[in-house]
Amino acid sequence: MSNFLQFTVFGIMLGAGYAIAATGLVVTYTTSGVFNFAQGAVGMIAAFGYWELVSAHHVPVLAALVIILILGASIAGAFVERVLMRRLHGASAERPVMVTLGLMVILTGMATIIWSPTTQRTVEPMISGQFRLVGINIQYQYVLIIAVAAAVAVALRALFYSTRTGYALRAVVDDPELLGMSGVSPNRMSQYGWILGFMMAALSGVLLAPTQTTGISIEAMTLLVVSGYAAAIVGRLKNIPLTFAAAIAIGLAENYVLNYIEPHLSSALQTDVTSALPMVFLFAALVTLPSVRLRAVGRLTSMRAPRVAGGRESLVAGAVFLALAVFMAFAFADTNVKGTTLLTLGGMVMTLGIVGLSLVLLTGYSGQVSLCQFSFMGIGAFVMGKWAAGGSPLGLLAATAVCAGVGALIALPTIRLSDLYLALATFAFADAVATGFFADGRVYGSGGVNISRISVPGLSLSSDRAEFLMVTVFFVLAAWLVLAIRRSLFGRRLVAVNDSPAAYATVGLNIGFTKVAVFAIAAAMAGLAGALYGTVQTIVGTTDFDIFPGIIFVLFVTIWSIRTVSGAFLAALTYVALNQIWPSSIGIFAGMGVILIGRAANGILGIEALHVRLPWVPKPAGDLVAAPVGAFGGSTGSEGLSAAG
Amino acid sequence: MPQAEATVTDVLTVEGVAVRFGGVAALSDANLRVRAGSVTGLIGPNGAGKTTLFNVISGLQAPDRGTVHLYDTDITRMRPHRRARLGLARTFQRLELFGTLSAGENVQVGLESSVKWWQWRHVKRRFPWAKGGADGSDGATGQPSGPGSVAVATADRLLEGVGLGGLSAEQASAMPTGLARMVELARALAMAPKVLLLDEPGSGLDDAESEALGELLTTLASGGMGVLLVEHDMELVMRICDYIYVLDFGDVIAAGTPEQIRKDPMVQAAYLGTVTDVGADAAAESSDPQAPSDGPGAGGAHAGEGRAEHDGDEHDEVAEA
Repeated sequence: MSNFLQFTVFGIMLGAGYAIAATGLVVTYTTSGVFNFAQGAVGMIAAFGYWELVSAHHVPVLAALVIILILGASIAGAFVERVLMRRLHGASAERPVMVTLGLMVILTGMATIIWSPTTQRTVEPMISGQFRLVGINIQYQYVLIIAVAAAVAVALRALFYSTRTGYALRAVVDDPELLGMSGVSPNRMSQYGWILGFMMAALSGVLLAPTQTTGISIEAMTLLVVSGYAAAIVGRLKNIPLTFAAAIAIGLAENYVLNYIEPHLSSALQTDVTSALPMVFLFAALVTLPSVRLRAVGRLTSMRAPRVAGGRESLVAGAVFLALAVFMAFAFADTNVKGTTLLTLGGMVMTLGIVGLSLVLLTGYSGQVSLCQFSFMGIGAFVMGKWAAGGSPLGLLAATAVCAGVGALIALPTIRLSDLYLALATFAFADAVATGFFADGRVYGSGGVNISRISVPGLSLSSDRAEFLMVTVFFVLAAWLVLAIRRSLFGRRLVAVNDSPAAYATVGLNIGFTKVAVFAIAAAMAGLAGALYGTVQTIVGTTDFDIFPGIIFVLFVTIWSIRTVSGAFLAALTYVALNQIWPSSIGIFAGMGVILIGRAANGILGIEALHVRLPWVPKPAGDLVAAPVGAFGGSTGSEGLSAAG
Repeated sequence: MPQAEATVTDVLTVEGVAVRFGGVAALSDANLRVRAGSVTGLIGPNGAGKTTLFNVISGLQAPDRGTVHLYDTDITRMRPHRRARLGLARTFQRLELFGTLSAGENVQVGLESSVKWWQWRHVKRRFPWAKGGADGSDGATGQPSGPGSVAVATADRLLEGVGLGGLSAEQASAMPTGLARMVELARALAMAPKVLLLDEPGSGLDDAESEALGELLTTLASGGMGVLLVEHDMELVMRICDYIYVLDFGDVIAAGTPEQIRKDPMVQAAYLGTVTDVGADAAAESSDPQAPSDGPGAGGAHAGEGRAEHDGDEHDEVAEA
């Protein structure tokens, strides 16, 4: 009984920590409409900052809290809103997600440079000691966390429902223009929301840091908040009391599972269960959410889509690309870059290029964000390594099919909901697969898994040159497929479902089917890329398909252009090159890049000033003024005439 | 409560529909019928519940009470895409185009959702109202050169049919409001619907265009289609509608022929104001075709503007909040 009480108190404490972080998420989302994926990273920076001040420089606790919470978090929150988020107003839906992810990888990258991950850092409790109650020992730190969480929840509830500022904070997302007309600055309200959100994140990081008995780590502290995501989702990203209650329930459930169920499992399974718990909670929360009502948004996507190459044009471009690859395969066969042959690096570029193409299809065309394409790569490589010993080409098919199935299973619970929830589900899936499945000794083992090169009777593909040319052929075929899909009926539907879901449904098309289908196709492509990546590397390990490299790669595709085949290739090229030259700073490059690109929906390749018109590329359609008009063509409307094409 | 008599030609029947947003009743007890081969008008002040009723009929809003039937099929709990496949098409008060696609591709999406692969060969027959233009056939053999080219050619014909010939390649989001509304109409017509719901299609059109729209709708109805029209342009409504329902505060306060509606004192008090001969007056008055239909600057033919503060969607959102 005393054990149960002990676990309960610890569970409530853990849940209270999650609650603070989750309410911060809710506050930011309520006031800006943006889900801040960097919430955990802000908490992590605050925890390390607190350690730096209190443990390393012996600054008094209260002074350290003032510096971190009042000065640091509030200034950072205001800065992020003013410099990064405000200019995204009206940008495509995936852009704020990418920018907050960029912020996350910048913060984790900077933390890695400042605080070496090899050093252990233990944070002392703010209030030392414990007391005994009903037969159990309770630490004062636990009481402090629970009390602070309760106070935060009550204060936020009072702020939002009993003050004019609170009403304005809630109204700013619904209709900022209307709020502006009532004399309240919507920008200022959003800024308050970001300040509050950052303060909540920092508070949760500082409070939970002392509970990390083995010391604080950058990755663990950043991902600690994933359980908070589930709580925020239960609270529908707007209900603070419900979020708070859900966070406590999750903390309790997590602690009961860890103490009552996990000890009875094998040691290998224990890691899996611990890692999978946040994802289980998140998926459970997603299933409980009611379907999102389709709404007519009454706003046209004004983005000018990149031109889609025609069938003949893409065939010619593919042939030229292959010819260049053949030239490279013979001209640079013996070139090495930092101990790796150029052809192996080229093979990695091609396989990652296929992952980039899967993102073009999924995010670029249909507007769905996936943060787990590297997880599908890892699953594909695992299937290839385990089931296709000897390099059977059937391994490629198996990897593709398995990932298509897993992709459909992930997409299914979220198709009723908005695209943000798919991004969250894929984030949780990537985290769980990386720390649970891939880290399991039975999956990749301590030394990794060997993957044979493809073996086809009568054709030798074992050399680096043959391997490079083979994966290049796969990349070209994948690029041709993506362009062919975009030109097809299905491609039009992908773009249409992204532009206006309400119109899509009312012309008789099934939104759920389309979204699951494209997610499964993208997962299959990533799985195939993973299997090919394995044949290029011939050995893959636990860290090859981690969540952070996966997110960083998504950011690179966004930076170049997530809507074009060229963008996918250039992203893969940049990623492999930077990873080879500055591996420790690649996250900072990606984060800064996506922030600089800002709201440019078509990335660097979409910047008009960089465009060079090739002689064989048709000119865009002319101005509407010159176009013939029919009986309804006389009206110009309030928007006036503009060039189109 | 005015009730239209049920007949065998009713293609759409709405009975006792109620929708509440929190404490606000957007629809209290809405009843209406749309007959095959007729244009039925649905008028009323802004915020009366017209768009909410359209959302209920098309499946974007679940009613708290009441039923919606398409012919004899109860579609009240059916998902929007299933209703569309049964023959229900709509346009929106605020444009809902696929903005990244071209005008032609917008129409193609509607066309491809409703035409089965074996129907492409004779797809032209589905749109007798859209005359002329290419039909996607091979010049030498006269045979269609494939579903893709037939879809493109048919989309061009449909655009031409609504007056947008030659604009197929324009990106939809770059088009002026008046043209964009016609693209939306062409996309809905590409589904060859049995019932067409039009939410203020005349908004942004000038007099000549409004007249052409009226002729088109009359032609469509004469082909057997049931058209339900929400419109503030009273001249257009009175000219082309066979039957009119008047909605106010979520209730149908009057129903009848244009002549009956024009003379109904309740309708005059609630919506038409002191204008006694709307059709005649409207023709004589100048109206600004560019003025938003819900704005205070709308011309004399636009009734019920004085009391309006929000359009239907805004009303819904405010009520929900």
